[in-house]
Amino acid sequence: MTRTDSAPDLRTRDAVDVPWTTVVWNDPVNLMSYVTHVFRTYFGYPRDEAERLMLLVHHEGRAVVATGPREEMERHTEAMHEYGLWASVVRA
Amino acid sequence: MILLEFSTAELQLMRTLLAQYDEIVHGENDPVLARLFPVAYRDDPDAAAEFARYTRSGLVETKSSRAGVIAAAVASDEAALVLSDEDAAAWLPVLTDLRLIVAERLGIVRDEDEVPDDPLGEVYHWLGQLQSYLIDALDALT
Repeated sequence: MTRTDSAPDLRTRDAVDVPWTTVVWNDPVNLMSYVTHVFRTYFGYPRDEAERLMLLVHHEGRAVVATGPREEMERHTEAMHEYGLWASVVRA
Repeated sequence: MILLEFSTAELQLMRTLLAQYDEIVHGENDPVLARLFPVAYRDDPDAAAEFARYTRSGLVETKSSRAGVIAAAVASDEAALVLSDEDAAAWLPVLTDLRLIVAERLGIVRDEDEVPDDPLGEVYHWLGQLQSYLIDALDALT
């Protein structure tokens, strides 16, 4: 019993540590160059990665742009709303 | 430093748009507000409402003050504008919001929706060209 209880459960730990994401959704209005620009300037993504994420949003309809604690994901979502991007907080 | 050249009509148009923008972001019942202040939790109305409660006034403040940066730049009839990089960066989100508002009025909700060939459609394209120009200018610096 004791042994089982104290055994590390990687799935649970993972779920506790990184349970939230910031998702940016596609919209028909924002310019692709603007979305890339926001990902670069706000998140500090290199140009290539910012473009990859922008294309994911464009083609798949959404992209996870950040992963981490809920509060942090809310801050990112709020920032995306400041930029006029369509973002929400989603449990990973 | 970024240079912009506006016609008198464009200066006037921008002032008009900004005045309306300020009214809209401070308003409450306009359907476009759902796009300017999106739902932060799509499957959790309570969490979404709480997020809105904590962030809305700050977002309104940020949007309004950025619009003020543009308003100050177009306040006179001086056609040649010189923007600092910082000011240009403040223009971008406002131009996006203005496009979101115009798009809502034009019923543009999907990628394949066409922009109508009318005065409001022209405003939409003009805002996009202006934003595109500023993005290129800012990206060239980094």
